[in-house]
Order: sequence, then C-alpha cells, then structure tokens
Amino acid sequence: MGADAFLFWFLAFVVVAAGLSVVLVKNPIYSALSLAMTMVGVSALFVTLGAYFIAGVQVIVYAGAVMVLFVMVLMLFDLKAETQAFSRGKITGGIKIATVGLLLGMVITTIISAGGILSEPPAQEVAQLPADSSKALGVLLFTKHIFGFEALGVLLLVIAIGTVALARSKGGTHAEH
Amino acid sequence: MGKDIFEILINGIKLVVIFLFMVQLVPILVWVERRGSAFIQNRFGPNRVGPLGLMQLLADAVKFLTKEDFLPGRAIKFLFYAAPVFALIPGAVAYCAIPMSVPFSIEAFQMFGQNWGPYLIRIQGYDIGVGIVFILGVSSLAAYTILMAGWGSGNKFSLMGAMRASAQIISYELALGLSIVGIILMYGTFNLSEMIHHQEGLLKFNFLGLGVDASLIPGPFKYLFPNWGIFYQPLAFILFFAATFAESNRLPFDLAEGEAELVAGFHTEYGGFKMLMFFIGEYAHMMIAAGLCTTFFFGGYLIPFWSVAEAQAFMLDLLSSPTLAGIMVSLIFFISYLLKFLFFLWVFVWVRWTLPRFRYDQLMDLGWKTMLPWALANTMITAFVIYITA
Repeated sequence: MGADAFLFWFLAFVVVAAGLSVVLVKNPIYSALSLAMTMVGVSALFVTLGAYFIAGVQVIVYAGAVMVLFVMVLMLFDLKAETQAFSRGKITGGIKIATVGLLLGMVITTIISAGGILSEPPAQEVAQLPADSSKALGVLLFTKHIFGFEALGVLLLVIAIGTVALARSKGGTHAEH
Repeated sequence: MGKDIFEILINGIKLVVIFLFMVQLVPILVWVERRGSAFIQNRFGPNRVGPLGLMQLLADAVKFLTKEDFLPGRAIKFLFYAAPVFALIPGAVAYCAIPMSVPFSIEAFQMFGQNWGPYLIRIQGYDIGVGIVFILGVSSLAAYTILMAGWGSGNKFSLMGAMRASAQIISYELALGLSIVGIILMYGTFNLSEMIHHQEGLLKFNFLGLGVDASLIPGPFKYLFPNWGIFYQPLAFILFFAATFAESNRLPFDLAEGEAELVAGFHTEYGGFKMLMFFIGEYAHMMIAAGLCTTFFFGGYLIPFWSVAEAQAFMLDLLSSPTLAGIMVSLIFFISYLLKFLFFLWVFVWVRWTLPRFRYDQLMDLGWKTMLPWALANTMITAFVIYITA
C-alpha cells in the first residue's frame, strides 16, 4: 500500500467516522463539531485529488464560517428542551424514521443503478487534469456553468432576505414572549 | 514530502524548527509587550529578574508549569481540556506555509556510498500552490477552539466571550478575505512565493500612458520606492491590517476578553499552562498576520537595494562552495524578512497600548458597514484598472 492509498483510506475512515458521529451522538454540540470535522476531512480528500482551491474554499466557507455559526447558535439553545422536542411522540417518531428510511433507499438505489461511480476512471481523463486547476475552475464557472452560478447567487440572496424578513415579522429581537 | 529519505528528514526538521521558532518567540513577545506597555505608559515594567527583566519570562514559565491543574465543577471535561491543545494547531499549521527566505539548493554529494541530491530547500514549512487560500482556511478554524473553551468551561462569562469572539471573527473574515482579492488579482496567483517574486526591483508601472519608473530618480532616494504591494494597494493594506487585529482578538477589538464586563472572556476558567496555550495561539495569529502583511505589501524577504541575483553573485565570489553561498544568501534574506516581521509584531503591541477598546455595536458597524464596502470597492476598482490596462 503506497502513501497515497494509505492517506485515502485514513481520510476516508476519518470522514465516515465523523459523519456517523454527527447522527449517532446525542449532544447536538458534538454533532455540529463532528460535522465540522467531516468538512475538514472532505477538504483533505480534495487535496489528495489535486483540487487545492476547492479544498481551501471548502474549509473557509463550510468549516470556517457556516459551521461556526451553527455551533454558536446551538450553544445559545436550551439543549434539554430541544432533545425532548426531538424524541417526543410515537407517530411523529414513526414519520421521522420512515423519512430517513426513504432517503437511505434513494441513496442506495442511486449508487446501485449508477454503477460507474465506484469503477476506475479511464486513464486519459486523469491525464487531462490541468496543472493550475483553480484557473480552469474559474473559466468553467464563468463560461459553461454561468447560469447555475448566477442562479445560486440569486438563491442565496433570496435566502438572506427571507431570513431577515422572517426574523423581523415576529418582532425580531424585541419580541414579547 | 520529498523524493528520498534525506529530503524527508530535512522537511521534517524544518517543521519542528519553525514550530519551535514560533513557540520560542512567544515569551520574547510577552516581554516586549510588558516592557513596551510600560514604556508607552511611563512605567518601568518587569525589570527585577535578570538583565532588563529578561529572566522574568523563565520565572513565568516555571510558574505556569507548576500551577495547580483544576477543572471547574460544571465544565465538560473533554472540551475543557481539548480547547487549549487545539488552540495551537491552526496558527502553527498556517504559519508554516509562509515563505521566509530565498530557497537554496544543495548540490549532489556522496554519503554512505550512495549518491544524493541535488535538492532545493525552501525556507518554509511546505510550499502549497494556493498558499493564501490555505492560510485563510486553516486560521479560520481557530474560532472552534474559542467556542470549545467557552462552552466547555460551563461558565456564562466564558460563553459570552466565546460568542463575541466567534461573531467577530466571522464578520471580519469577510473584510479580510475581500481586502486581499485586489492583491490576488494584481499578481494573478495564490502562491506566496510568486507574489514576492513579482515585487522584485524598483517601482515601475505604466497606466494609461503615464509611466512611472523609480530607477530614474538620481541618488539613493530611488531605493525608497521599491516595487512593493503597498504602493499599488494602500487601501487593501489598511483594511487587511485592521481586520487582522480583529481576527487575532487583540485590542482595540478584544471584546472577547473585555475584562470590565466579562471577567476575562472565554479563558476565565483557565489557569496555568492551559491559559498559556491560548496565549501562544493568539500570538501565533499575530505572527501569521505580520508574516502575511510583509509578504503581500512589503516585499516579503526582499531587500530594496540588493536583488537576489546580485546577492547570489556576491556570495559566489566570496565563498568557494555554491551550497554554502546559497545558505548564506538565504540567511541574509531571512534576516531581512525577520526585521519586517518583527516590526509588524511591534506595531501590534504598540496599537494595543495606544487605542481603547471598541463598543460591540461600533465593532459590528466598522466591520459590516465600513470595511466590507471599502474592501468591495477596492476589489472592483482593481479589477477595472487591470481590465483597461491589460
């Protein structure tokens, strides 16, 4: 087993273990911290693929900003009440488990029917990987995928405005309880 | 890693040396901070132990190591102990990516009946193609250590301090990231070594037929205008430098500590060596900020009046072995880097003891309503200028 293979299996183990602990750990704070660990692990996997820029952005955006906000907000909650709210009720519990089962079935079906994901890529595709992948990525984003890129930007703007509107509609920080 | 055992060994030693360099600089910086603050405030500072009070650091270290290790009653043990250890990691990992001198080459040689080399040794922990993205990403992980400490202490003052710190770090990260986009656009690379390479020589550019060439100035005054980033991106420098103060939780942005309101913020419950590790983390962030400022805006390790090629020729003349000459050149440029680097660290100390702390709403206003728009404007103007001149 070479250094690359060892690195891949090690990182894969870390990512899967951290991902599992996101759903298996009871305390939401530990879940969120495990999710951050998963993000860092995925970014390290991007590095082993030679996609340095995506790896860096993955850490900056997801691990460094989004998950920090998650952890911060979670720490402000009354966690005991949240745990009860989540585990209470037999009917809603059944619906939750059914939803998870549906999602799992979808994922497994996709993996089985796609088939090609787990097989070796053809050799010439690997050779075509450009040396300066961040430049190639930028060119691709602003030419071929410009519509998706702009649409995502608009979507994020809508989300930001919607969040502010929702938060203010009930009186914002000055709401009376 | 390296292509054979010799190079792997050298790279491993380099990482250890850089980490020790950072950790050993901390007590000296603490001394500079205490003596400097005394100097600014017309006091004496620590001057009893050893010459100039320098041995005070040693006494402090012994004190920190021998203090009682305690766990607050409501603390979460794992997070409480993990936080100070994690505080060291982002700073140390990120600093290793900053180039500190000219790389030197070791010629092929024979050892243990085997042929080795030639090697090119870089004076940095590792050379990453997307250097600046890597540094920003890794150092942004520091927010977790503060959150872990605040939550793990089981103390409301700690938690309040942690909340403030992470909100502040996220807010200022935007201004910080945007302020260097102009620099990245101008040099067209993420790689720090290439950025330094672009800053070689004297100020020379052409803008809409208006040519500026500093080498035409007679006398030694021309060396006052090297081809450094500060002359192209002065606004970016101000924004970047201000944002790094917020990122490293230093005055005037140290609301996370705010001793008048929060006792000591996120490290209220920490004492002894655990407290010292947070200290080292904070100083590591200062070092990253100082190193990046030097690299982006002040030519990194370059010397304005002595180019790398000239220095190499001079040393080759003086010394017979090219390897030895290369090491000497690296050493000279390392000293040049160190001077600039230490100057910026001194500015951090200087500002801390000059400016009062901001109020929280002022801090957020400054970050979101002043620095972010200016950074955006700087980015757009830079992009526009590059577009019309290219």
